[in-house]
Amino acid sequence: MSGWGEERPTDLAQRIRIDPDGTIEAFSGKIDFGQGIRTAFAQIVADELDVPIERVRVVLGDTARVPFDFGTFGSHSVAQETPHLRRAAAFARRQLLERASRKLGLPVERLDTREGSVVSDRSSIGYGELVNGSPLAGPIPDDIPLMPTERHRYSGRPMPRLEAREIVTGRATYVADVRLAGMARGAMVRPPARGAKLRSVDDSAARRMPGVIAIVRNGDVLGVVAERDEQARAAAAAVLADWHAVPVEGPSADVPMRRDAQTAARLAGAATRLERTFVLPSIANAPIGPSAAVADVRAEGATVYVGTHRPFGVRDQVAKAIGLAPERVRVIPMITSGTYGRNSQGDATIEAAILSKGAGRPVLLQWTREEEFAWSPSRPEAVLEVRAGLGADGRIVAWRYDEHTNVHTAAGLDPQVLGVTSGRNAIPPYAIGTAEVTLHIEPTRLRTANFRSLAAAENVFAIESFMDELAIAAKQDPLAFRLRHIDDQRFRRVVERVAERSALAAAPPARRGRGLACTIYHGTYVAQVAEVEVAASGAIRLLRFWCVVDPGQVLNPDGVRNQIEGGIQQSASWTLLEELRHREGRVVATGWDTYPIATFRDAPESIEVLVEGDEAAPPTGVGEPGAVPAAAAIANAVYAACGARIRELPITRERVRAALAPR
Amino acid sequence: MRLTLHVNGAVHEIDVAPTLPLLAVLRDDLGLTGTRYGCGRGQCGACYVIADRRGVASCLLTVEQASRMEITTVEGLAKGDSLTPLQQAFVDLDAMQCGYCTSGMLISATVLLANEPVPDETAVRDALAGHLCRCGVYGRAIRAVLTAAEASR
Ligand code: FES
Ligand code: FES
Repeated sequence: MSGWGEERPTDLAQRIRIDPDGTIEAFSGKIDFGQGIRTAFAQIVADELDVPIERVRVVLGDTARVPFDFGTFGSHSVAQETPHLRRAAAFARRQLLERASRKLGLPVERLDTREGSVVSDRSSIGYGELVNGSPLAGPIPDDIPLMPTERHRYSGRPMPRLEAREIVTGRATYVADVRLAGMARGAMVRPPARGAKLRSVDDSAARRMPGVIAIVRNGDVLGVVAERDEQARAAAAAVLADWHAVPVEGPSADVPMRRDAQTAARLAGAATRLERTFVLPSIANAPIGPSAAVADVRAEGATVYVGTHRPFGVRDQVAKAIGLAPERVRVIPMITSGTYGRNSQGDATIEAAILSKGAGRPVLLQWTREEEFAWSPSRPEAVLEVRAGLGADGRIVAWRYDEHTNVHTAAGLDPQVLGVTSGRNAIPPYAIGTAEVTLHIEPTRLRTANFRSLAAAENVFAIESFMDELAIAAKQDPLAFRLRHIDDQRFRRVVERVAERSALAAAPPARRGRGLACTIYHGTYVAQVAEVEVAASGAIRLLRFWCVVDPGQVLNPDGVRNQIEGGIQQSASWTLLEELRHREGRVVATGWDTYPIATFRDAPESIEVLVEGDEAAPPTGVGEPGAVPAAAAIANAVYAACGARIRELPITRERVRAALAPR
Repeated sequence: MRLTLHVNGAVHEIDVAPTLPLLAVLRDDLGLTGTRYGCGRGQCGACYVIADRRGVASCLLTVEQASRMEITTVEGLAKGDSLTPLQQAFVDLDAMQCGYCTSGMLISATVLLANEPVPDETAVRDALAGHLCRCGVYGRAIRAVLTAAEASR
């Protein structure tokens, strides 16, 4: 099966198709989950092919139509896709020019393109006519000349996303909006705990209930298919299942990430030493739309409609679950509620496929809100122990960091990826002298997995809070202290710029404070300042946020701003409100009352994002970095406002009051 | 039970259990899937519709109650091909990411602007407070509503 090493598709037929009516279809295995790549791809193709953008249809991720793709992991991999698509479109234009040249008996130099036609001074032939009966094909040359920038009409110009109109009119088809002929509805019968084995089932009452089509069992997966949603749910509740609970526990491991000689000795000999522990609870991805999938499984093949960032991976999983060859499974990605990296969409998809196969009908399965909290994976807990020693000159000479957490991805303990997933950003982007950094993976009964930025949000909360504490312990200004330990010029620039924009040095009014935090996340430089007000009760109001981001070359600045703003807003919610309680691996939260997140009333007055990309550097991701330093920026602001140093999230009023209480 | 529903200016005769939530009937019987399921408990705002000029959670309204009201869903906001100033402002300011929460926000903001054509920022926050957005577009949505109010002045 295909893997990381898969070659990128190089034949034009896999990339561009032109219909006889002149419609252009462009194919990519990438997925648009709100970052605007459908629009960006359409802009590129329209420019290279010289057609109005309305005539371009971008087909993303449909496994029957697009070339293989490993998956869309952040805007980084999207940025790498754009040059391929651009070359494909440029090659298509050249082929069209050559075909027209033969047809008209004119040299290519006397021809040009305009609005979807090849034109000479006398005549014009539409693209559709030129491809009639013989599609464009052939290996795409790497050195195909591109359209000169001055002829671009769309690329690099701000433009509303193509889906925006569909969304505001309610016409966008999300997964749960797919309606197929003969489609039935599914509902699952859930075990008391994850991993429980199904001993026996009594479905005699459920079978007789109105609308019930089938009770489907496949191993420990049990569900009901009925004509209507409410019928499926009522019948699922009437199924008597006997489960045998088997505790499942995540893996454990100790992984050294950095081991410099002499670290212990230099720590012991440092002029100033500081040692702190930071704690983060587990939190939920908590998408507004619960997981959903539609599956239509027949003997000869299956079609599934899902929200996923790796359609080919889902194709293989579904194929395995229902016993079909992967080529017989077609995955059609649909627009979906944001899911921020969680992979439980795959769960609903497999369940829907099993139900559809068992019932012999297309099935829509949408999880309830309760199921979404109970059964999707969560971000793990983390306990972060940091100690550092400063020399007599106030610089860091030694550093020791122990990250205790649970496994962060479905890839589990794969040593190749552990350090960059569960240990992501555990090594600070500063000159820290000699260091020992260790990742300790501890077992948990909770189901844990990918969530926006993986472990980076946890590690950067600890490191950036601790940098403030170190600066204060050394009687230095937190900004100057950081700058003393930064060698990288791009990093220095974003930190200086955000301090300037937020007037970090100016004293805010009473009870208010500003806090700085910064990091480098997967090549994206990001620095933030938060301003908060802390009431006598300990209640925190987030007032303003500033962020300077350098994600290398930038195609769509407003798209970058939107992603960064969202990351900050979401992270502020994690930091001030969120904690997913669980016991024995079972999540306690069932709804938004037991798992509150930030609302319109909590949103800061402003989030100012300055996009200052280094145009000479390759583009890097922006979906995740906004969320990474925000927690520490807020915690540092709380300290600046009232002197309460909060080392455990969420930063509640109780914690602030406790930190301020006289001891 | 046979019921008559008035939705987006059209009349629908349906035969369903009277206690079903309006949300289920809109999505499963009338094909109006723009109104979204988020929680089924009145806590997220994804399912809001206008019922007799008020924004309500259609997951909590029974279809029988709804049959005595004039219902407008997100599909009924635009007149033909032309977006309302509010919808246009959401598009122009890209006040959405995944867009799952957008229908509900548009409903409550439409009701707000009908009652209070030039609201201040606090009024916008209060009017939309029942709508959760996990992607974090609150700031842009507030600006979009204020921009739309400005535009129709
Ligand atoms: S689905 Fe009705 S308020 Fe959440
Ligand atoms: S835009 Fe995704 S939930 Fe609001």
